[in-house]
Amino acid sequence: MTQLEDKQIIDLFFERSEQAITELDRKYGAAVKKTAANILHDRLDVEECANDTYLGVWNNIPPQRPDPLVSYVCKISRNLALKRYHSNTARKRNSSYDLVLEELEECIPIRTDLEAELERKELSAAINRFLEGLTYEDRFLFVRRYWYADPVSEIAAMTHKSANRVSVRLFRLREQLRKTLLKEGLLV
Amino acid sequence: MNRENLSKTISDIDDRFVAEAYRYDPEKVRSAPERIVHMKSKRIITFALAAALLLSVGLAAYAISGIHQRRQQELRAELKIEENKAGSYVEYALEEEVKGAVILSAVNNGEEQRVFVNVAPVTEEELRHFPGELSFGWRIEGSDLSGFAAPQLKPERSVSGKEAIYEAVREDAYDAETRTLTLECYLPAKKLNEIAAQQGSGSVQLTLLMSLPEQEPRAFGSVPFTPTEEERRVFDFQHARYYDAALDKEIEILALELTPFSAVWRLHYEGDEAFHQPGADWDAYRDWSILEDKVCIETQIIFSDGSSFSTGGALTTPYENGTVNSYCGWAQAINIQDVQRIVLGDLVLWEKP
Repeated sequence: MTQLEDKQIIDLFFERSEQAITELDRKYGAAVKKTAANILHDRLDVEECANDTYLGVWNNIPPQRPDPLVSYVCKISRNLALKRYHSNTARKRNSSYDLVLEELEECIPIRTDLEAELERKELSAAINRFLEGLTYEDRFLFVRRYWYADPVSEIAAMTHKSANRVSVRLFRLREQLRKTLLKEGLLV
Repeated sequence: MNRENLSKTISDIDDRFVAEAYRYDPEKVRSAPERIVHMKSKRIITFALAAALLLSVGLAAYAISGIHQRRQQELRAELKIEENKAGSYVEYALEEEVKGAVILSAVNNGEEQRVFVNVAPVTEEELRHFPGELSFGWRIEGSDLSGFAAPQLKPERSVSGKEAIYEAVREDAYDAETRTLTLECYLPAKKLNEIAAQQGSGSVQLTLLMSLPEQEPRAFGSVPFTPTEEERRVFDFQHARYYDAALDKEIEILALELTPFSAVWRLHYEGDEAFHQPGADWDAYRDWSILEDKVCIETQIIFSDGSSFSTGGALTTPYENGTVNSYCGWAQAINIQDVQRIVLGDLVLWEKP
């Protein structure tokens, strides 16, 4: 069965057709679940997260007409997964996502005086500027590892590199980011 | 910043980048942005050190196992060995293998030996744990040298997600009938040669391993491996200078050492040695670091059919023997004898006489 174009799926949401959810799931269900599963390893949590994502999309389209649709749905899924991950501190942490955070802490060290929302936004903007300046491949590696939270072995499979090469390149990128943020005065 | 805020910070990565990374597009890797540069010098000397040889390990050949032969043929095609005349790619004589590990082929990248092996048996149930809990590795007997091995996927594959990767591995690298899995190992070439020399025989014993949680690693067997020769072409750019107007910096591009699967860019600029020492001044190095990457990524190697190739970003950039050496690598062979021109923007680094 062929997949609908993003615009056609969004049109179904505007028509308030429940087929919109089916088509969204068919086209991006795997990505939605994968994004959540990289953060939450519990299958039930992932399913609930996917359902909540579809509900979120249903509630926001209309009036929104996101473009691109894929990042929109993955972002909702990621945010919902993170909410569960961070809110349930009693639950055993997912070691693979902890590892992603640990790597990020190498270049964005924990600081309690940087928690203000404004400063966080500045940091995000700086990271986006940093990404803008990277090559496609480096940006791909960084975003897959730290946004999608993919394991290095999976990124290696996607890009046909050895896991070691991906790790080395990510290390170099983290070092570049850390030094860039230092230079911009966002870290001390 | 606590971890929740750290997660939120990363969540705010621009939608464009998130959408861009949804799927891997190898074509984008090869296209580099155009830049305006000024040329100062472009005298070139090239020389080729090509050593193409086909080795055969003297194994008694009984019946050739179908899966080993088939994988050899597939690898040759996937890695574009014949069409790009990668003479340093070595295929091994095969025997009917019933016990575990069979070396199919190998190629010397200069820095690494890429070795392709078939291992068996790997059951479908075991393979179901890949990627994730199941991992593969290699070790050199009589040394502390070891590393990871990975199932060999088709280079044009673009897969994302555990399930998709499992399916790709099952389709590309696994033969259910013989329970054989094809792996690729990266062995550090220099260290390997040292060990082979120390052990006196010129070869080493390569052991392939599989590991599952709460189980002892399983060895598929140990096979002799003789490090293979590399095929390298060196382009000497005679201190060509690349000026980047945006950064207002000039870098010397001394040479490019090319193998079918890898490259080393030899670069030099003011203060380069100090920037590659521990604790170097990043503020001063940052622009140079960008420039190092630009040389690797934006230089186009042009072939006789008009196609072009970029070596991509360097994996490491150590300072060695008086130059910054940017090491790059890729999956499929290029024809290093067919290079017609090497250009970086307007700067012609080399042109075939």
